[in-house]
Amino acid sequence: MKQRPHLTPRLIQFAFLALTIAAWFVIDTTGAISPLFLPPMESVWRAFLALVQTAIFWSAVRVTLTTILQAYIIAILLGIPAGYLVTRSRFLTALLEPIVSGLFAIPITLFFPLFILLFGIGTGSKIAYGAAYGFFPIALNTIAGFSNVNPRFLDAAQSMGLSRLGTLRHVLFPAAFPVILTGLRIAFFISFASVLGGETISSVSGVGRNIALAAELMEPARMFAWMAAVIATALALNALVSRLESRMRGS
Amino acid sequence: MSLSETASRKIPALRHRRREQFSTPARIAWTRRALVLALLIVWEIWARLSGNLELIAPPSAIARALFTDILSDGQIRAAILLTLFEVTCAYGLAIAIGLAMGLAIGATELARRSLFPIILLLYAIPQVVLLPLFMLGFGIGPAAKIAFGFSHGVFPIIVNVVAGMRDVNPLYLRAAQSMGARRADIIRDVIFPHMVTSFFAGLRLAMTMTLLGVILAELYVSTSGVGYFTRLFAESFNPAPLYALIGILAIIAILLNEIVRAAERRFTRWKHRSSWMRE
Amino acid sequence: MNLAHTSRRSARAYEAPVAIAVRNISQRYGDADSPQSVVALDNVSLDVRRGEFLCLLGPSGCGKSTLLNIIGGLVQASEGEVSVGGAVVRRPSPEKIAFVFQESTLFPWYSVAENFSIAFKYRGIGRSEWRDRTMVALKSVGMTDFADHYPDQLSIGMRQRVNLARGIAAGTEILLMDEPFAALDEQSRMVLGEDLSILLAQTGKTIVFVTHSLAEAVFLSDRIALMSARPGRVKSIIDVDEPHPRLPGFMLEQRFSDLRNACYASLHDEIRQAMTATGCAGSAR
Repeated sequence: MKQRPHLTPRLIQFAFLALTIAAWFVIDTTGAISPLFLPPMESVWRAFLALVQTAIFWSAVRVTLTTILQAYIIAILLGIPAGYLVTRSRFLTALLEPIVSGLFAIPITLFFPLFILLFGIGTGSKIAYGAAYGFFPIALNTIAGFSNVNPRFLDAAQSMGLSRLGTLRHVLFPAAFPVILTGLRIAFFISFASVLGGETISSVSGVGRNIALAAELMEPARMFAWMAAVIATALALNALVSRLESRMRGS
Repeated sequence: MSLSETASRKIPALRHRRREQFSTPARIAWTRRALVLALLIVWEIWARLSGNLELIAPPSAIARALFTDILSDGQIRAAILLTLFEVTCAYGLAIAIGLAMGLAIGATELARRSLFPIILLLYAIPQVVLLPLFMLGFGIGPAAKIAFGFSHGVFPIIVNVVAGMRDVNPLYLRAAQSMGARRADIIRDVIFPHMVTSFFAGLRLAMTMTLLGVILAELYVSTSGVGYFTRLFAESFNPAPLYALIGILAIIAILLNEIVRAAERRFTRWKHRSSWMRE
Repeated sequence: MNLAHTSRRSARAYEAPVAIAVRNISQRYGDADSPQSVVALDNVSLDVRRGEFLCLLGPSGCGKSTLLNIIGGLVQASEGEVSVGGAVVRRPSPEKIAFVFQESTLFPWYSVAENFSIAFKYRGIGRSEWRDRTMVALKSVGMTDFADHYPDQLSIGMRQRVNLARGIAAGTEILLMDEPFAALDEQSRMVLGEDLSILLAQTGKTIVFVTHSLAEAVFLSDRIALMSARPGRVKSIIDVDEPHPRLPGFMLEQRFSDLRNACYASLHDEIRQAMTATGCAGSAR
């Protein structure tokens, strides 16, 4: 144990996974929980295999991914400039930062019915809703990034005669970048979850809608298959993004 | 043109410093109020001019609807109170269980290294896709909403408790040991106070998340509770009471957040007191 | 060096019984065969007499702090043993030994008075005595007005004064101090050093004091144990024959600078070696 400190945690994690699967299996065979709530593992697997061969699956995935991407891009295009403009003066920062962070404490989900009212039940409302959720972490982190640049860097830039644009490009932006990057990462996953959430609650298409539909039709295996697809995608994206991020940070 | 004027025109940072002299907290607070008022006025005028009153309600109509449609309606009041009850239950459960699990996981190196990655993995799952499952499991009553709110709130607390228990200044531990502190003393006098900042950050996030979970579940079930009324108002193109209902819930969200922040200030007084000397 | 040997030894240091006996202490980190293994201390033996002020002086990373932690029972030595008052040290013994660390170890979440209280509580001192003992200790460092302040409200110098007072208030015979003034500027350092010398004369505590300031060592010590670069050994011992409390005038005497120079001459090569040795990057704790 002394020589291999990483082995024991791995073993425990493996045991945890094994126990979860075993528990599922035992519940299946004994029928301790209704199969409506927890369908047998193999039927979920079969439903999953059947699902990925259908056109419905791929069109739903395409709708959802396009919606997420549109929401995310809008959030970036609004969030970064807004955050940057707010930090142009200390007064504006002091004035607006608490408003932005205060608004972010209110779950935007509350306003979801308004999004439906204003943008319809189609993808428009999900794009707006996902963008609204993604906007806040990006704007807040941009504000934090730009307003916490060490003022000595700015003094140094001035002493070297850097122009305004040069200062932005060579000093302000590189210094603020790591913080903004964190905001971008958080915003992506928030947009991701909120688009799916919007689809689940009220929509006509997309992955979330199909999960809700499977639940309404009392097809738990199919529902689990959809959920498994989303969870697998989310975890894969998470791993990908953290790898990308660590590479971008150069560490 | 004097030298100082030229300098201040050319150097943005210098202008920053000049403007700073005027931005006293009181001035900022007043400007903020004026800004909110101006926004309300713009909204009012725009809503009236747009002629789109089945979608956009002016603030004056929302305020009227708040009293005529929302607060006077016993069913809506009950729905709002139920939501508040669900949030309270879910939040309480999330704190109790999150704290216990966080302490258990953060207590030893082995537990943290083996179980914390599992927690982080679960935290990364977009829980909203599990919402139909919660409904199947707990029915469409308060139990499902409490459970869903709880499952949203519990993870930020666990994560922040575990993170807070890490990185205790080893010198504090050594000092406590040298004075004869026992393990229980160290947990109470060193680890807990050290953790409190991170714990409250977790509590604040958990409050937002719990609200999110409960509201999501409320909206998903559109046959009763708040979800039913929002659908009713939206489908009948009656925006004023819809805005008013949402506004009330938003105010509740803000108040709940303020309660957590007040508790935080109360328990981390030693931090805030120090600021006057540093500045 | 000859100066050190010819100096008159203070009667106290000669006659007093041994308070702390360090016998053949070695400290190694990592397995003996592994290439990463670091020998922090190599066969150190040392006697500290009752009422004596002994300085451990040496370059960074020579294991001074490790030795102090071993004496206090916070760290177990790989080899050898330490006895305090005849009993072998195996764990912290708060009834006999108090520590004062390099940075302030006042807990920032407790006020100054509360910090004293928990120290008394841990040491098993009756609650009725807490307030009085706190005020007496604070008075001795001129900090009575700050009993209800939080540590972060105090300057670094004030914090370290309180920290020192807390160590003294424990009422132990032995005080172990790990570079207690390192975070202070030179002027505060000197003033606190004078305070400490006065306190020492009043209380007659046995003190082991780790420092890498030459002037501080000479000004405060009865004896200075000079340590070599890693692996730490006691290279030689220099006596400073000057009664406590010591006055600032002592620093102006020729004797003071001679002693200081003797320490520096003895340590010079060790310091250079410690600075260039790659193994010293992470100082052993």
